[in-house]
Amino acid sequence: MPLLTLSWLLPLAGAIGLLLVGNADGRRNGAIRWLTLAVSLATLAVTAAVWAGFDPAVAEFQFVERVPWIPAFGIDYSLGVDGISLLLVVLTAFLTPIALLSSWGSIERKVKEFSIFMLALEAAMIGVFVALDLFLFYVFWDAMLVPMYFLIGIWGYDRRIYAAIKFMLYTMAGSVLMLVAILGLAYLHSAATGRYSFDLLALSTLDIAPQTEMWFFLAFTVAFAIKVPLFPFHTWLPDAHVEAPTAGSVILAGVLLKMGTYGLLRFSFPLFPEAAASFAPWLALLAVVGIIYGALVAMVQPDMKKLVAYSSVSHLGFVVLGICAMNAQGVQGAIYLMLAHGVSTGGLFLMVGMLSDRRHTRLIGEYGGLKAVVPRLSAAFLIITLASIGLPMLNGFPGEFLIMLGAFRWDPRFVVAAGLGVILSAVYMLWMVQRVYYGEVRHGENATLPDLHPREWASVLPICAMAVVMGVFPTLFLRPMEASVEALVQQMQATQTLRAMDNPHPPAPRTPTPGNWTAMRPVTRILYSLSRPHSGPSRAERGQKRWLPAKGSGGYQGAVPLGWLIGIGN
Amino acid sequence: MSGYLGVIIYLGFIVAFAVVSLAVARLLRPHRPFAAKLETYECGARPIGEAWVQFPVGFYLVALVFIVFDALAVFLFPWVLALRGLGVWGVAAMLLFLSIIALGWLYAYRERILEWQ
Amino acid sequence: MFDSTFDAVVPLLCVILAALAAMGAEAFRARGERMPIGGLGIVGLAGAGVSSVLLWNRNAASFGVILADNFGLFVTLVLVVVGVLTIMFSSQVVRRDALPAGEYYALVLFAIAGMIMMATANDLLVIFLALEILSVAVYVLTGIRRDDQRATEAAFKYFLLGAFSSAFFLYGIAFTYGVAGSTRLDRVGAYLAAQSMSDSPLILMALALLLVGFAFKISAVPFHMWTPDAYEGAPAIVTGFMSTGVKAAAFAAFARVFLSAFEPFSADWAPIVWIIAALTMILGTVVGVAQSNLKRMLAYSSIAHGGYLLVGLVAANEVGKAAILFYLLAYAVTNLAAFGVIALLGSRDRGNDELRDYAGLWHTRPALAALMTVCLLSLGGLPPTVGFIGKWYIFSAAVSAGYYGLAIIGVLTSVVSVFFYLRVVVMMYMAEREVAAAMPPRVTGVSMAALAFAIFVIVYLGVMPTQVLDLASASIATIF
Repeated sequence: MPLLTLSWLLPLAGAIGLLLVGNADGRRNGAIRWLTLAVSLATLAVTAAVWAGFDPAVAEFQFVERVPWIPAFGIDYSLGVDGISLLLVVLTAFLTPIALLSSWGSIERKVKEFSIFMLALEAAMIGVFVALDLFLFYVFWDAMLVPMYFLIGIWGYDRRIYAAIKFMLYTMAGSVLMLVAILGLAYLHSAATGRYSFDLLALSTLDIAPQTEMWFFLAFTVAFAIKVPLFPFHTWLPDAHVEAPTAGSVILAGVLLKMGTYGLLRFSFPLFPEAAASFAPWLALLAVVGIIYGALVAMVQPDMKKLVAYSSVSHLGFVVLGICAMNAQGVQGAIYLMLAHGVSTGGLFLMVGMLSDRRHTRLIGEYGGLKAVVPRLSAAFLIITLASIGLPMLNGFPGEFLIMLGAFRWDPRFVVAAGLGVILSAVYMLWMVQRVYYGEVRHGENATLPDLHPREWASVLPICAMAVVMGVFPTLFLRPMEASVEALVQQMQATQTLRAMDNPHPPAPRTPTPGNWTAMRPVTRILYSLSRPHSGPSRAERGQKRWLPAKGSGGYQGAVPLGWLIGIGN
Repeated sequence: MSGYLGVIIYLGFIVAFAVVSLAVARLLRPHRPFAAKLETYECGARPIGEAWVQFPVGFYLVALVFIVFDALAVFLFPWVLALRGLGVWGVAAMLLFLSIIALGWLYAYRERILEWQ
Repeated sequence: MFDSTFDAVVPLLCVILAALAAMGAEAFRARGERMPIGGLGIVGLAGAGVSSVLLWNRNAASFGVILADNFGLFVTLVLVVVGVLTIMFSSQVVRRDALPAGEYYALVLFAIAGMIMMATANDLLVIFLALEILSVAVYVLTGIRRDDQRATEAAFKYFLLGAFSSAFFLYGIAFTYGVAGSTRLDRVGAYLAAQSMSDSPLILMALALLLVGFAFKISAVPFHMWTPDAYEGAPAIVTGFMSTGVKAAAFAAFARVFLSAFEPFSADWAPIVWIIAALTMILGTVVGVAQSNLKRMLAYSSIAHGGYLLVGLVAANEVGKAAILFYLLAYAVTNLAAFGVIALLGSRDRGNDELRDYAGLWHTRPALAALMTVCLLSLGGLPPTVGFIGKWYIFSAAVSAGYYGLAIIGVLTSVVSVFFYLRVVVMMYMAEREVAAAMPPRVTGVSMAALAFAIFVIVYLGVMPTQVLDLASASIATIF
């Protein structure tokens, strides 16, 4: 059974089916809500089946479907998942029902159209993660903009139209340049082999002139950097997140941002390994700037939604840092943090939405002392906050930890700055929790707010449960991605070494800094050695810091000591 | 470009002729202007009203129909001369052409553009 | 002389006969009697469509000047679709605005006959003849609402500038004849191929004049000045018709002349067309952003789309030629449907074509709003619509010919164009309806069927473009 086709076609079929339902007077709102929820749950079941059937030992794509689509241009309808995309698909299917539940009470207007757009959005998002053909990928990537645009523009808050258009234009401006690069790649393939191809695997073996490769890499990377969003490209994000309805924010933060980092990992880096190597430090620099900048700006936000939005800029900076490190730990950590951020930031938006449904304001100053009024909501909020900060035993920690490990092996300087970001994240998140939930009830209306009701429980519980499960059993989620990540990292390194041998004048390796290792604080040294099971690194090893961990560091074993570290055997 | 040399010389002659003849006339002719001579028609008939006046649109329509028949006649003359060589096909083609024109004329007639009131 | 086959003119004859029949029917109908003249036109167009399909792959030629090769037939089929959709949309408009039905449909059909002739002509003089047939018909159609001042002004402007450009074109033909001793494209091509090393100023003169003539007709910058006024003043459905049909026919002839006869001199004209294409895309979108009238906005957008088509012409490789054909189809169906919606929303005394007239359309006519959105997204080149495939095809032609600059200008301008298409969507979906605004009129079944068909084509070709893509590349394989 073509499970992957089913996974994106099912929501789309639901959306088309809803088109045919007459609901001019809103009489069938209830039925439509249930139907939509049922479709999204069925999609979740399908993706769960994909996960269940996924063989974690295989690095290649699984569940591959390949049908010629536009044969004249070598365009295939080809789908597949590997360890990198599998869990992102599941995450999408997991968050959509939750987002639907969150809009159950808050969306009263045009429920049918809202449901159609949500399902269409889900279809396109899943399509983005499972597409193996660059053309198909681009189709899903662009198609996803339309429903999101309507979700923000119709059901959003006051400045929704501005935010919707800004979101659309920013993303498109980046992606059309990627389109040109995709076309250029296909053309190079045809020049080399005589036929066009948009197939990811075929294109990744292409030999591209360094100058061209640089431009293509930039075109792809800018498209993804806007989506992530990396530091100077982030200005659409606060607008879109704040103005979107709760469901839209949950999906935006939970899934859409991941598309950017997924794209970097799936396309930018493997397709253009050399250009990626030379640009990685700069990307990492931007990522670190984003980490600090996002955290600092988040700290001074009076609006909760905006605070969470800027915290996303900060967290996604970690993910990009992990990808730039391009070693097993960094990449695994990046994927893990993508998942964790999806769950916890989705949860934060969800609960901020619940508060603003009750009080119709998102300003932190309007709240205070809610702990006594809505104790259950406060508890859930606190759990997710702690998860977002990266407290051990919760889902944020393994990802950030692995990214730090990976980045440390690559270039410790970035880790110092990133560590500062972790501290700052604790500051702004806890400060917000303190101001909203602790202290005295200062506003009369706040004293009578209702606590979670059953439908809200249904959306909050899975999030909290997932945060805890991901924190306690990280191996459950790390295992499926291990083989694929390892293969990716090795392939990147192999290409680089190969091309370095072709090049008679390789760039001089960065001078090793012998003082580094001994100057480390003991804790850091322990963390560092954990990442290399054998011993501390030799000087020769440290000489090749750039993505080329020394031979003999063996297969990836990061997850094992990590499990040990947090006290859980595997 | 050498083939055009004659054209250029010819062009020079044209311009020269105009200039020379006007200049000579200017030198030779007497110059005695009076009012009637300076008027538009130079003969005493006085112009009435503005140059931009509205004509009944019927004039244009009749003129258009006339032009169509004029063009028809232009096609008919060479056709007659060549008819012997063209044979039956020539007759059929011209009949088709005439019937299309006739349809247009019929249309004009039914739309009453030839009626005056 | 008459033993040459008539096959190639059969599609043309079908349309002309239908037009004549429409005229005759108008002449013989009793006063006040209603006649299904539009239906007559559809029958004729269907005949043209069927005969084109039968002529496929036969390379029929009539009188040596009409050449029904696959390229011409593909464009003919596009024009048939344009004609059928126009007539279906018109049925409601003609009744609402009390336009003279017989004249209206006859003019539409004559215009289509001219377009088909232009697309299949193999002789510069026949192209000129066809150009005049279609132009005269369209001038009159532009001003067919005689009591409307703006329409009259538009018709007059269009007529003057059109005549002006025809003169350029004719002058170019004269130069070509002077150089090559023939107006037949194949002979001109053969002569020029032999002369390809020469840099005779006469050839360049002919090239430049023909280029200007065509650029006027496809409203390429800087010869676009007439377009916004003419498009805004004409009745919406006529605007739709002329922005698609005229453009398609003119482009077919443009491509045929420049890619076959003047191909040996492509090194001379390609850089000029490059600049024209870039300017056309940029100006069309940038000025389009500032418009508040929907018809005027779409006029500028159609200028920009002409620029995208020119990109295909510059690229001039296999992909580029096929891309022109596919894009013509994509653009024609999409743009016509968009203008169809505008036409259907107008009323007799008011065009309802200002942007603010669309506020809250979603609440009053949700189906129309949704269909309009699909059209706009297709014009903006978003998947899964035919507009996306068309743009992708055009830009892949540009990239594979090495014109990265044009491709980048093209994609960036298409993002800017999305901005103004979205303004309409914002109005329809996100703005509140004005309290005083009149309820938009009902839409008849025929018009709705036309709209539904267009939307089906837009989405179907957006998802399953293979057959038509193959058809387009097969069409250009037979010539050039």
